[in-house]
Amino acid sequence: ANDFRLGLITPPPHIWTKAAQSFAEDLAEESGGAHSVTVFPASQLGNEAEMLQQLQTGALDMAFMTVAEVSNRAPDLGAFYAPFLAQDVGHAGRILRSDVAKDLLEQLPGKVGAVGTAFGMGGLRQIVSRGEVNSVQDLAGSKTRITPFAPILDFYNAIGAAPTPMPLPDVYDALANGQVDAIDMDAELIWALKYYEHADTILQSDHMMFPMVGLVSGRVWADLSEEDRTMIAELMARHVDSTIDTYVEAEPVWLEDLKGTGKTYKIVDEEFFADAVQKWNEIWSQKSAALDDLRNVSRETAN
Amino acid sequence: MTPVLFLVLLLLSVPVALVLALTAIGYIWASGNTVLYDSFAQKMFAGIENYGLLAIPLFMLAGELMNEGGMTRRLINAARVFVGGFRGGLAYINLLANMFMAAIIGSATAQIAVMAQAMVPQMEQEGYDRGFAAATTAAGGLLAPIIPPSMMFVIFGVLAQIPIGDMFLAGILPGLILAFAVVCVIATIGFVQGFPKGEWFTASEAASALLYCLPATLIPIAIVGGILLGIATPTESAAVASLIAFLVGWLVYRELKPSALFGVFRRTAVNASMIIFMIAAANVFGWVIIYEALPQKLAAYITSVTSDPFVFLLIINVMLLFVGMLIDGIAALILLTPILLPIAIAHYGISPFHFGVVVCLNLALGLLTPPVGVGLYIAAAMSKTNPGQVLKSLWPFLVAVAAVLLLLSRFPVLSTALI
Amino acid sequence: MLGKLSAGWARIELGAAAILAVAITILILLNVVTRSLGAALFWTDELAIYAMVWMTFLGASAAVHHGSAVAVTIVTDALSPGLRKIAVRLVDLIVLGFALMMIWFCWQWFAPDMLLRSGFDIGAFQSETFKFIYSEPTTTLGIRKVWVWIVVWLFSAGATLHAVANLSRPADRVNVEAS
Ligand code: NA
Ligand code: NA
Repeated sequence: ANDFRLGLITPPPHIWTKAAQSFAEDLAEESGGAHSVTVFPASQLGNEAEMLQQLQTGALDMAFMTVAEVSNRAPDLGAFYAPFLAQDVGHAGRILRSDVAKDLLEQLPGKVGAVGTAFGMGGLRQIVSRGEVNSVQDLAGSKTRITPFAPILDFYNAIGAAPTPMPLPDVYDALANGQVDAIDMDAELIWALKYYEHADTILQSDHMMFPMVGLVSGRVWADLSEEDRTMIAELMARHVDSTIDTYVEAEPVWLEDLKGTGKTYKIVDEEFFADAVQKWNEIWSQKSAALDDLRNVSRETAN
Repeated sequence: MTPVLFLVLLLLSVPVALVLALTAIGYIWASGNTVLYDSFAQKMFAGIENYGLLAIPLFMLAGELMNEGGMTRRLINAARVFVGGFRGGLAYINLLANMFMAAIIGSATAQIAVMAQAMVPQMEQEGYDRGFAAATTAAGGLLAPIIPPSMMFVIFGVLAQIPIGDMFLAGILPGLILAFAVVCVIATIGFVQGFPKGEWFTASEAASALLYCLPATLIPIAIVGGILLGIATPTESAAVASLIAFLVGWLVYRELKPSALFGVFRRTAVNASMIIFMIAAANVFGWVIIYEALPQKLAAYITSVTSDPFVFLLIINVMLLFVGMLIDGIAALILLTPILLPIAIAHYGISPFHFGVVVCLNLALGLLTPPVGVGLYIAAAMSKTNPGQVLKSLWPFLVAVAAVLLLLSRFPVLSTALI
Repeated sequence: MLGKLSAGWARIELGAAAILAVAITILILLNVVTRSLGAALFWTDELAIYAMVWMTFLGASAAVHHGSAVAVTIVTDALSPGLRKIAVRLVDLIVLGFALMMIWFCWQWFAPDMLLRSGFDIGAFQSETFKFIYSEPTTTLGIRKVWVWIVVWLFSAGATLHAVANLSRPADRVNVEAS
């Protein structure tokens, strides 16, 4: 019998946290009460870099983590962040459920020290700007808040923006008082945390997906029985995967809500960003061996 | 077992940071989850890898440079132009100056020491009772952590993961209420005892006091304006204020030589590292107790006593007054926030801003209450009187502040309205 | 001799900490200036944070030498001089114990023995130990984080030196230095 700890950065009401909670309930039930999982949301056990280290030592048993953090150590996974890899949130889901994606999980034990059970999802990335945005030139030189990970950094560098890393709690103020001109964010938080309040323009760019991965500590995994491994892997995969369906259902609603805010709402596509996508691809075809394969999957699964 | 270890170490006068770290080590040992030792050193580092904490050395630096460069003195002088002639004018000035400065420098006690040396002789010269003069200085120290800028708020903001600028905003209304309460106390004492009449500056004295003060006003403008107008983060505005304080002290007042800068930075490094290291230790402590799900267990106990947020805050207030008898404010804040805040938020729906204001004011109060009130003893020692003498004049201030504390505990909107 | 070594090392630690405080100030000011010029630098925040962490650990080690850390002295102040001397010695011992434990934690964390055994082959080290400390990147600086983490070793070693020196002080000087 084990009492597992599962850490993640999202707050209690977030889709990822809810999925973690229902995974905990199901595991307790399916194991007949032999195993239990305590969920530690909202970065209680540290940020993702710290949690990853705790997974490696075995201090933490499980985590639902952004692929961005994992791709720091396994750059192949950075390919998921290829701009316009997915047309919409449903397409992103099909890519994340592909065999190519599943194969990428296999390198995690060696490179990250954790076993990946499945990919889940956050919403597609959008841009909220304080000023008018008529062309990509309007974003060039502007201070844009990003989550500080290499693939995202490279995209905004390619646009010519000044990407400014900033933790989530500071973003609202920074946008309100002009410390940043624009933010890179998903529809869920733009709506829930009211980032649109201090903006002129909401750019529905859908430019990047923001996948998540369910992890089990490699050390903990090594000590589990074959039976427990199967049960945990299947259950966690099911709940991590379920976030994809949740986003496919919820994202259009948030976007509709945002359209109703009365802010300038623009839908832009790959062409809007001119040669930025090309530049990004040049950098990442060097960094990630998986980029071409994922592009193929993207073509095969497109609408 | 571990709570005993904690108390023994604390009372043996082991440094607070080490008490926290050693208790965490003891907890891990007792829980048998010794794999946590592998992450211990790394977690200690990670706890201070935080942008918000940069505000600590920078605010300290700004305070040091203001004192060294003669700015503090000139701000006080300028205030005398406006209220110096009123009955009790100097008492109000003492209060105001303390309010602004005390929390900048990080240690309320250090600032009480500086201000007591500067203000008490001046007040005595004008005919004030020495105990009363010391008491006003100490009372100013009470308001300091609530009226922004405030080191306690910076630290609380970091511990609670909330924007420091918003925490400053949360302190404005409570700070004004506090200032009003304390001003009422001074006025009442003046009415009962009769204050000495102040002396107005002559026109030329007033003009020169105001003129000399002008460059110094850039500093509060830089700090408050920078944050409120959103030109800079609190950390950045403290850096800008430091730069201004240095330039004005060096080029305008000519009291600060660049050669003295290294000493200032060294003092800043010593004082800042002491506080930040405590935070590092509190971080491993908080991490370990979260791992052991201790807040949940404590919460289950407290919630069985009451489900009312106000009653909960009252319990916390009483508890903190005892803690404040033992431990200096910032150390206590670092010690208790990781345990209490999650309970306040999750089980009582208390806003972290409201909680922060109440806790910081409470701990500031503890600094002045016997039997162990470091601030009280320092105010007495620096003004060459005894704590009893100070307390004789101080108790009305303590009562007034305690009443405001109750008010703030009862009405969260007073803390959250401006955010 | 040991006392002089400890004092000299503490002076170096505080000198370095002061320089780091200067660096923090300059970096933050640089941040303000570059942002207002529309040419924001994205690496200044992280560098300033690391400067602060280094300042903190160096300052904390020096604080062991100076005995200047915040402590609750309500009980020990009330003790007789003889008992107080014992208490001070006990605290010195506890501080040394903590410093030694920190060295052990650092050893567990960096696993230098395993690194040596793997012939400094990071890949082999990782697959054998599941420790990824030597490949962890910094977010914006382009160096590996292990160079920044090394300060915890400096702290642990410095604190051990100061704690041993404190313990080897003549007993009659204990009170003076601790107060
Ligand atoms: Na203040
Ligand atoms: Na007290």
